[in-house]
Amino acid sequence: MKGDGPAHRFLFPQWTNSLRPWLGVVLVGLPVYLVVLVWLGGSPKTTDVGYAPQQPVPYSHALHVRQLGLDCRYCHNTVEVSAVAAIPPTQTCMNCHAKIRTESPKLLPIRESFATGKPVAWVRVHDLPDYVYFNHSAHVSRGVGCVECHGRVDAMEVVAQVAPLSMGWCLDCHRDPDPHLRPPEQATSMTWTAPGDPREYGRQLREASRIEPSTECWTCHR
Amino acid sequence: MRARRLELGGEGRVETGPDSIRAAADSGTSPRSAGAGETASPGPGEQPGVGGGDGKGYWRSLEELTQTPRFRTFLEQEFPGLEEELASGASRRSFLGLLGASVALAGLASCRWPRELILPYANRPEGLVPGVADRFATAVDLHGAGVGLVVTSVDGRPIKVEGNPLHPASLGAASALAQALVLQLYDPDRSTTVVRREGGQAVAATFEEWDAFAAVHFARLAERGGTGLAVLAEPTSSPSLHQLRHRFAARYPRASWVEWEPLSDENRRRGARLAFGAGVRAQLHLAQADVIVSIGGDVLAEGPMALAHARAFASRRRADGLDMNRLLVAESVLSLTGAAADHRVALPPAALEGFILDLAAELAQRGVAVPWSARPLSPPGSPARRFAALAARELQRAGGKGLLLAGPRQRAEVHALVYALNVALGHVGRTVSFTAEPEGEGGGVEELERLAAELEAGAVDTLVILGGNPAYDAPANLGLAELIGRCPTSVHLSLYDDETSVRCRWHLPRAHPFESWGDVRAWDGTVSVTQPLIAPLYGGRTALEVVAGILGHAASAYELVRQHFAEKLAQGDPERAWRVALADGLVAGTSLAPLEPALDAEELATAATQLADLRVPSGLAVVFVPDASVHDGRFANNAWLQEVPDPLTKLTWDNAALVAPRTAAGLGVGDGEMVRLEVAGRTLEVAAYLLPGMAEETVGLPLGYGRSRAGRVGSGVGFDTYRLRTSGALHTAFGVSLERTGRSYPLATTQDHHAIDALGSTERSRRLGALVREGTLAEYLADPEFARRGESKEGVRPLWREVKLGGEHQWAMSIDLSACIGCNACQVACQAENNIPVVGKRQVLRGREMHWIRVDRYFAGEVDAPRVVFQPVACQHCENAPCESVCPVAATVHSDEGLNQMVYNRCVGTRYCSNNCPFKVRRFNFFNYYKNLKPVEKMHFNPEVTVRGRGVMEKCTFCVQRIEAARIAAKNQRRPLVDGEIVPACAQTCPTQAIVFGDLADPTSRVARLHRDPRSYGMLDELFLKPRTRYLARLRNPVAGEEEA
Repeated sequence: MKGDGPAHRFLFPQWTNSLRPWLGVVLVGLPVYLVVLVWLGGSPKTTDVGYAPQQPVPYSHALHVRQLGLDCRYCHNTVEVSAVAAIPPTQTCMNCHAKIRTESPKLLPIRESFATGKPVAWVRVHDLPDYVYFNHSAHVSRGVGCVECHGRVDAMEVVAQVAPLSMGWCLDCHRDPDPHLRPPEQATSMTWTAPGDPREYGRQLREASRIEPSTECWTCHR
Repeated sequence: MRARRLELGGEGRVETGPDSIRAAADSGTSPRSAGAGETASPGPGEQPGVGGGDGKGYWRSLEELTQTPRFRTFLEQEFPGLEEELASGASRRSFLGLLGASVALAGLASCRWPRELILPYANRPEGLVPGVADRFATAVDLHGAGVGLVVTSVDGRPIKVEGNPLHPASLGAASALAQALVLQLYDPDRSTTVVRREGGQAVAATFEEWDAFAAVHFARLAERGGTGLAVLAEPTSSPSLHQLRHRFAARYPRASWVEWEPLSDENRRRGARLAFGAGVRAQLHLAQADVIVSIGGDVLAEGPMALAHARAFASRRRADGLDMNRLLVAESVLSLTGAAADHRVALPPAALEGFILDLAAELAQRGVAVPWSARPLSPPGSPARRFAALAARELQRAGGKGLLLAGPRQRAEVHALVYALNVALGHVGRTVSFTAEPEGEGGGVEELERLAAELEAGAVDTLVILGGNPAYDAPANLGLAELIGRCPTSVHLSLYDDETSVRCRWHLPRAHPFESWGDVRAWDGTVSVTQPLIAPLYGGRTALEVVAGILGHAASAYELVRQHFAEKLAQGDPERAWRVALADGLVAGTSLAPLEPALDAEELATAATQLADLRVPSGLAVVFVPDASVHDGRFANNAWLQEVPDPLTKLTWDNAALVAPRTAAGLGVGDGEMVRLEVAGRTLEVAAYLLPGMAEETVGLPLGYGRSRAGRVGSGVGFDTYRLRTSGALHTAFGVSLERTGRSYPLATTQDHHAIDALGSTERSRRLGALVREGTLAEYLADPEFARRGESKEGVRPLWREVKLGGEHQWAMSIDLSACIGCNACQVACQAENNIPVVGKRQVLRGREMHWIRVDRYFAGEVDAPRVVFQPVACQHCENAPCESVCPVAATVHSDEGLNQMVYNRCVGTRYCSNNCPFKVRRFNFFNYYKNLKPVEKMHFNPEVTVRGRGVMEKCTFCVQRIEAARIAAKNQRRPLVDGEIVPACAQTCPTQAIVFGDLADPTSRVARLHRDPRSYGMLDELFLKPRTRYLARLRNPVAGEEEA
């Protein structure tokens, strides 16, 4: 910005000529690199679909939900009022397991936790970046079923991530919520199906309860 | 061409040198016309509303007034100093190195998601919902009386302090100091363990060891009736502690209990005793007062009732009912109350002390029955006499609805006469009422002198210091620091291992107010229970527990408070009463009953004579004032408060000797020059700061800096002005000499940062209205739209097609400049709510402070007697936001509800947006200010707001997390949002409710109505930015025909 006239005009030094052959490599390589970057960035490997870490207690949702018929909210009881669907306290497990399978070695961490007051260290499966503010209550009370994001948990021996949880995936639904809506009281049902055309049924629900999903940045990022 | 001469004023270090200032002062012309230069600017009388078409009627600093190169740098460059940093070879290399490293790390880090654990409660407490914040009412002792608070707690961590709307001293607001308590709680420099010091060696000990020692030691003391035992405590309003004090006196009849606080209201208490012969407290009803005359006080910002006073005062400053009050202030050091005044006179301390006599004489002349033979002190025609005449006329005109006030730094005699005049003028029962002084007299300097003498004589062998920091803040002539060190057994209960602890045999870590059970009494007598928000982080104890221990009956603070509550306060079912008290944050029906005390005419006459006979040395005087940030030094290690600019000087990270520009010119002292002050043989080198509005021949010295053992934040910051303070001259010292040293000192003042270039060019200045606009009530009545007069959009067209925003709500804000008193509470609230980093003095000097909301302080008028206007400025959420159109990555975009959204995860840090923002409200993270935090330092974060990393731009979001939380809550309950349900942090804490937030789409909302108010104007409205934040022009209410302020 000194602007001192032509005397100070910038000239590439001579040695830069030796770099010219590499220019072609860069011009070809860069687009390939970008394509690969985007491809890999969106792959399930990156978004962690299928992630199913081993938990300290081999809790089976298949057993508790499908066979015993527990509602999601028996354990995740904050889902309708809080941003988080809290992992239940050890006390919730002991409501039953104080009487049932009291000697099971698999439940040892639970009994230890209950006796010592120290938490059980569960491994998070569905992990959003820290700059994303997802609110469970806002979705459940609007009639977005658990199954929409978490899949058929009632069929899972070990909980796995089924959806990419990427921003594009979130926006798919926020831009077109109709096929994903159900009556709020059916939110925790794993088997509910829309009567008739899901899209048409969802549209009626959306219009009836004025569901207007926002796609503004600050809805989720703040 | 005055302006030209000023610009060429100094040589070399051009800044506001003495010459240029003298030029401005001597010229006698107002800076408005002085700065106008070639554009023919209207004088002050011609167009007062818009403040001069050139926007130059207002100036933020002397540097701006004289247009020094330093000011031009801040005006022309967004972040000065960056060029050199980038251009210097070394830093560029390190930058490239860092770039390489971060790419490599990014590659590694993105290979795998981090494995996160979820640790649920083993046994979740009843009523606790993970992810939902709890709010608890509590109360703390600040400035000698209780203030009610509501603290937000997330998963057991207190993160945000707000006021308790039910509490009479808070009314929902919280001061900057109270809000910063939460940062103090998580201060990693707090002491974590008991320390025993033997022969210069500090040994970590435990409370068990202390208990074992205390049991034996104090039993022995009890046997001899407490001979040789002394307790030095902070004044407290705690009823439980007062009860323990009775038990202490019973067990140790020969022991002494001394109370000391450097900024006490001892003079007021002694004044009440003089006037009424008994302990009496004045309860002010500012909302009822038509005329308020304040002598040397800061009723809006100082003392335990400041928040309530500010609210009441501001309720009469809006033009709604047109019953505006009128504030007249006589003071030596410019204060926030002075800044809010309609008429103000700056009197040197000697003249100020006699002002009450001048006022009484004027009143007597007007037929008011003054209960002593009133003779004026100042010569006729002096500023004091002229102001006294004005004040007397106004007080009489108010017909019993006036109010006369004296500040805590005025002599007891002044207070006594003020009480008497309030009685004589018929104010009692209307604008002021009296109650008894509750238990606990609050001590005084004489008690401390006696204690020092006893320590000196070796008569005290056991000294228990409950809180406070007397080794640092006691009068310098007592040599208390050394005497404490000589005491054979000394104990200090303190939050920090500080200057006093290091001289004591035992240091006991104190529990923070948010970790303690306790009780406090508000100024009006209302008792509140302090309930802990968190278990003591380091196992500290409260003063209650330590006193119970030395009484031989160890008990927890909970038991003591509960017991006192059940015995003295509970009405009806004690369990239920206790729970209600905890939930409400106060015990209903405990306020003090009004009294009607009788004046003691004899004492008053003596007091008046004593005042009249006072002879003080002429020449410079020093006035010690509390610091707006660190108060008396107890908040020195609080980074939020260190970095929040002083409301008037805009200084961060320092205090300075405040001098009037004219006085400085006479002494040849420049801004930021180190000067040597000498008071009665004690000297101090301190940086001078030229503050317009100071009285002549007066040096204002804020207390609380220059700490040696404050902690990593506060040690060695600023100048220890306590070294000049002696027990005979606690507030004002006369006979001061000041010498120049010729050295300069970098003062990190933010007053020229983020300056909005309203002047620009001649052409633009013709189009743009002033940024701050004010007028008098008379002008408002003549033309309610005076603020928008002179705005012209002629020949200007918007650059872009108008965008139609389709959102259901349209968020907007209104800020009433008439109500804003510049108290900084909003800045600290914003910092706490939005995880805003602190950057330190070096970065502030480069203009990189991160506050999302700043309070611009403008001066107008004469340099020596300026008017002051405050203007809080945060992101204006322009509908046509210039920042959005220049962002290359769409990291800042508009929402359909009118919010200017900043998306951190998209931002690549070009800073184009900041460059293009006309309001200079965007802040850039030049560093990762939150790197390497200790676990305890992370605890104050608001989990609802992203913690930003390096290279990211940020700015005010209108507290979008609160908008979303309220929206989700309303929708979950299937109801519409209610106006007033969403309150941003700044608006929530504003003591005067100057900030209103709401939905423009609802024409009945408060903000929509305020935007339609005739006083409403938008900054730089002519540029078609359509800011969503609009201001209400400031109104003043001066007496017609008298000069303003």
